[in-house]
Amino acid sequence: MKRVVEGSQAVAEAVRLAKVNVISAYPITPQTHIVEFLSEYCANGTLNARFLRVESEHSALAALIGTASTGIRSFTATSGQGLALMHELLHWASGARLPIVMAEVNRALAPGWNIWIDQTDSLAQRDTGWIQMYCEHGQEVLDSIIQAYRLGELVNLPVMVVLDAFYLSHTYEPVDIPDQEPVDRFLPPYEPKFQLDTEDPCDLGSLVTPNAYMEMRHNIAVAMEEALFLFQDVENEFKAIFDRRYGAIEPVACDDAEIILVTSGTVTSTCRQVVDDLRSQGERVGLLKVKLFRPFPVDLIRQNLTSAKKIAVIDRNFSFGASGIFAQEIRAALCNTHKHPPVFGYIAGLGGRDVTEDVLEEIYWNTKNNEVPEKESIWMGLQEV
Amino acid sequence: MADQEEIKSKVPLLIPRSCESTLSNMTGSWRFLKPRYEEKTAPCSSACPAGEDIGRIEMLTTQGLFKEAWETILRENPFPAVCGRVCFHPCEDRCNRGDFDEAIAIHTLERFLADAASRNEFKPSIEKLTLKKQKVAVVGAGPSGLAAAYFLTLLGYTCDVFEAMPEAGGVLRWGIPLYRLPVSVLRNEIAYIESMGVRIHTGKRISRSFLDEAHNQYSAVFMGCGHSRTRGLNIPGENMDGLEDGIAFLGKIRQGENLSFDGPIAVIGGGNTAVDVARSVLRLGGKSILVYRRRRQDMPAFDQEIKMALEEGVEIRELLAPVKIEKNGTEYTLTVQPMRVAGTDTDGRAAIEPRDEQNEEIIVQRIFKAIGEEAAEDWYNPPGEREKILTLDNSIIMPRSEGAVLVFGGDLTNQIKSVVHAVASGKEAAIALDILFQEGSDAVESRLKDYAVGNGPSLSMEIYMAGPRSERENHIVEYDEINTDYFELAPRVTQPRLLIEERRKTFEEIDLKISANVAIKEAERCFNCGLCNQCDNCYLFCPDISIQKDNSPQGRHINYDYCKGCGICVVECPRNAMAFEEEST
Amino acid sequence: MELRAFDQEYMSSGHVACPGCGAAIAMRFFLKALGDKVIIVLPACCWSIIAGPYPQSTVKVPVIHSAFETGGAVASGVRAALDMKGDTETTVVTWAGDGGTFDIGFQALSGAVERNEDFIYVCYDNEAYMNTGIQRSSSTPYGAWTTTTPGDEWKKLRKKNIVEALVAHRIPYAATANIAFPEDLVRKVKKARSIKGSKFLHIFASCPTGWRIPSELSIKIARIAVQTNIFPLYEVEDGLKYTINYKPKEFPVSEYFKPQGRFQHLTDEDMKHIQEMVDEDWALLLRKAGEHP
Repeated sequence: MKRVVEGSQAVAEAVRLAKVNVISAYPITPQTHIVEFLSEYCANGTLNARFLRVESEHSALAALIGTASTGIRSFTATSGQGLALMHELLHWASGARLPIVMAEVNRALAPGWNIWIDQTDSLAQRDTGWIQMYCEHGQEVLDSIIQAYRLGELVNLPVMVVLDAFYLSHTYEPVDIPDQEPVDRFLPPYEPKFQLDTEDPCDLGSLVTPNAYMEMRHNIAVAMEEALFLFQDVENEFKAIFDRRYGAIEPVACDDAEIILVTSGTVTSTCRQVVDDLRSQGERVGLLKVKLFRPFPVDLIRQNLTSAKKIAVIDRNFSFGASGIFAQEIRAALCNTHKHPPVFGYIAGLGGRDVTEDVLEEIYWNTKNNEVPEKESIWMGLQEV
Repeated sequence: MADQEEIKSKVPLLIPRSCESTLSNMTGSWRFLKPRYEEKTAPCSSACPAGEDIGRIEMLTTQGLFKEAWETILRENPFPAVCGRVCFHPCEDRCNRGDFDEAIAIHTLERFLADAASRNEFKPSIEKLTLKKQKVAVVGAGPSGLAAAYFLTLLGYTCDVFEAMPEAGGVLRWGIPLYRLPVSVLRNEIAYIESMGVRIHTGKRISRSFLDEAHNQYSAVFMGCGHSRTRGLNIPGENMDGLEDGIAFLGKIRQGENLSFDGPIAVIGGGNTAVDVARSVLRLGGKSILVYRRRRQDMPAFDQEIKMALEEGVEIRELLAPVKIEKNGTEYTLTVQPMRVAGTDTDGRAAIEPRDEQNEEIIVQRIFKAIGEEAAEDWYNPPGEREKILTLDNSIIMPRSEGAVLVFGGDLTNQIKSVVHAVASGKEAAIALDILFQEGSDAVESRLKDYAVGNGPSLSMEIYMAGPRSERENHIVEYDEINTDYFELAPRVTQPRLLIEERRKTFEEIDLKISANVAIKEAERCFNCGLCNQCDNCYLFCPDISIQKDNSPQGRHINYDYCKGCGICVVECPRNAMAFEEEST
Repeated sequence: MELRAFDQEYMSSGHVACPGCGAAIAMRFFLKALGDKVIIVLPACCWSIIAGPYPQSTVKVPVIHSAFETGGAVASGVRAALDMKGDTETTVVTWAGDGGTFDIGFQALSGAVERNEDFIYVCYDNEAYMNTGIQRSSSTPYGAWTTTTPGDEWKKLRKKNIVEALVAHRIPYAATANIAFPEDLVRKVKKARSIKGSKFLHIFASCPTGWRIPSELSIKIARIAVQTNIFPLYEVEDGLKYTINYKPKEFPVSEYFKPQGRFQHLTDEDMKHIQEMVDEDWALLLRKAGEHP
């Protein structure tokens, strides 16, 4: 049923529909609405789940590692500092092959307390072995969380569904909230492939010496690779029931584009408008939305970008001493192709600064008017201070 | 969508999930010190002249295995009921528990076990060797003779015991008063000895010529005639009517004579006989005055007996030496000279000399002398030091080129004239003879050392017969080798006794019995020094679970595949029944 | 010993604990008391290694290893999952060292206890970060040498009183226990299991390697700790009712220090000062138990 809900509520509804049994979370702006909704659902019985009111994000994920190891579908949500605090355990969750799902609200990292959108927090965790999906709007958030359980439980990897602070978490949009029955058809009950069981005792996570550790890590790498293919299968199943699909990437007007803008998150919505406007002015511009960041869809990137003349990546994040992170990944993906266009890297919207149509158009013209990028990363709209 | 199986094969799950046991790690290879079970010797068993395995006796008692405990005594001493009443228990003086709170009442427990055996009519199963060809004659059915016959019988020899009196027992039957040893108890004990195969011929007095003719039938003769003649005072008036032999007096009472007294009676002497006489006299109505030439602490009588004598009202007059005896109407005057201490004698007792005072005259109804005994016949005595004589700790062996081997034991040879030393004589003689018959007299002295309990001189028949006790180390466990953390202070049992008023009136046994639960409680105080009582401390505290319980006699074994040699078991063994030494490479 | 009935073993030989390891003994008794309907959460500590390298497991019950500071949190999760499965039989146990309890793990422990999570938290205390090489923790006692408090810098700060800290949370049950007193330990474990809510057991587990004592004295030194009032045996119910379980013979603290290499540098003055502190703490404990010193 279509309702106008906040992005946070879309998350909560998805968790409810996924019949999660344990939620463990610590509040942090702007994730707080998610946990508040879920607390209420647990309290009024809408959701048959235990809500663990842990005392920190680190403990929140620690508790879920315990829960998931005992074979129960688990959920947490966090943002910014909270995600950073979980860092050690993000590695642990994937190393332990636990299909935990997290709603991660992209928020800037302190100091300088900043509660607004910035992707550096989630991207700084790109090495932790979590599947990462970046969402553009409320519907996608709800759908992605449900799909995250299906995918995660297939490959035994944790999944992070990422949404922009405020622009997505606190924005009301019409979202089709499905009935329980089709969701049940799509997402069967969790059948853990291993769990703590007094009838079949085992020791999980013990000392592993050099002669076995590497194989386990390779195993995770293989799972990630399979996740790329299985993501497609999961989307097919989802499409069959709910008639919606997003794709690991979504190309818009890329076939004959000379310049392709690459975005993620809510900036994509603004960019769609900008591409329409520029096209109507005769510019041969296209847009590539990147949804699936981990595993990084290298083949799809190559397929969709090598034909363009120039690529302009808009990063709402930065890796100090290097460049914008999406730009890095794309450059890496294109590196081994026979001939690929130059990749222009733009940094915009950090700490919640608005990425307006003007900013995006400036990015387009800057790209068009330069044969090669003047610098590896161009920071948009910096003011004199 | 690919099915589950396909997904499983494409996305294999290799995680650190462990369920193999760690038993493939042989951590025993870490070891450089190795613990093992090693039983040692308890000080009490070494102090006991009969070498009784006291630690084990108490252990079996705590487990309620009274018959087995009693049998453990019988392996080393055929007289538990007797010793449990009359022994001076040197074991208790060496008891390690004495350094913790109070010594174990070993004496009381021995009596309890013997009484329990009698009451329940236990039939003991004691190991006996196969019949040997040699026969041994024993002269005198006193404690040393009966013990010798008993042990020789266990070793497979046939023994004939010849006793002049109408009943066997020697000093046990004809000397020690009834209030210390009831006759039924003694008869029971002697019956047991006979049931083992010992043949006792009463009313048969042996003549001197027997010693020379014995070899026709016997390979050896054991002389256990004892000291039944009181020494002379060598003072004027000695042969008077009013002066009687103390030993003979006790014999009269035991033979059933009806005696009574009225008025003061003097008893000259300081040994057990003198004290027995004094205490018997007062039970017959007299007022006993014990006259001794040295001090009370120099009296050779057992401390316990002296104490009880005093409680019963015997008066002890110290430092008075008898000078003469004169008749004084119907009474007698005993003149005594006051003495004083002048240094120490070679045996550690006070040397005395006359004091510069007037002699005293003590008027009494009767006088008994009990100043020490000697053999009734000269030929009872062992020969002096000569070639070819083996002088052992409790016996003397005289092999003869013609004739049966002569063996002397009991009071004839022992420095301390006690029942338990008599038993020690019998055992030593039996083992010595067995060695002599099999290997010749030259082997005796050196071989005997192998059968000592601790560092000797007590011998163990069980060790000689290669029983489990022979596996133990001779090291005597000291108090500081006991881990007293596992014991709580607990008072020693007090054996009930007749009230003093009751004691004076009758010859009834003074010490009363204790119940089984009291006995068990007392036995539980025993440290069982050096013996494993399977308390399970070692098993419990092993961090590597490398002590495993099993059905072996030890009840457990150390699994050296895993034992890291930490040594906790050794330290936590309360009773030093383990050893810890360098691993041999 | 009354523990003859507990002949069932839930631990195997062949583990790699140091010879004489008190922690190994503690776990052995603990499992004997609880049986096999147990899930152990095992944050980083010596037992992370003793539990066995992949693919071996020393104990015969399910174990989940967890990050150092997460003992209380992972246990909360496991308990929540078992509750959602409807499992009322399995006991969740966190088995942590003093590091993972007193220091880095304190937050998660405090959080779990404040939420009154239904689990038993066991801290086996060897009084330093032993697994990483004998570095000091807030559980290291006054006077001890460690590799981070060497020479003159020996620890001149008191041992943190973890039981009191948890008693302040009004924890339903907190108790001290000691490997040299197995019957008392077993009784407390069984009692803990019978109570709903958070339970804390502080088990004194000697470490021959870190304390510089011969391995064979492992149990003896643990016993002396109780006998000198350095580690009293007591329980606290609902954060209010104190019961002292053992009134020792009162040996001087020097009896405890003398056999240990880690205390060799203490002078008579130092020991006198420590004796005063110990006497003061004991008097305080007696008062809390409603008894007079």
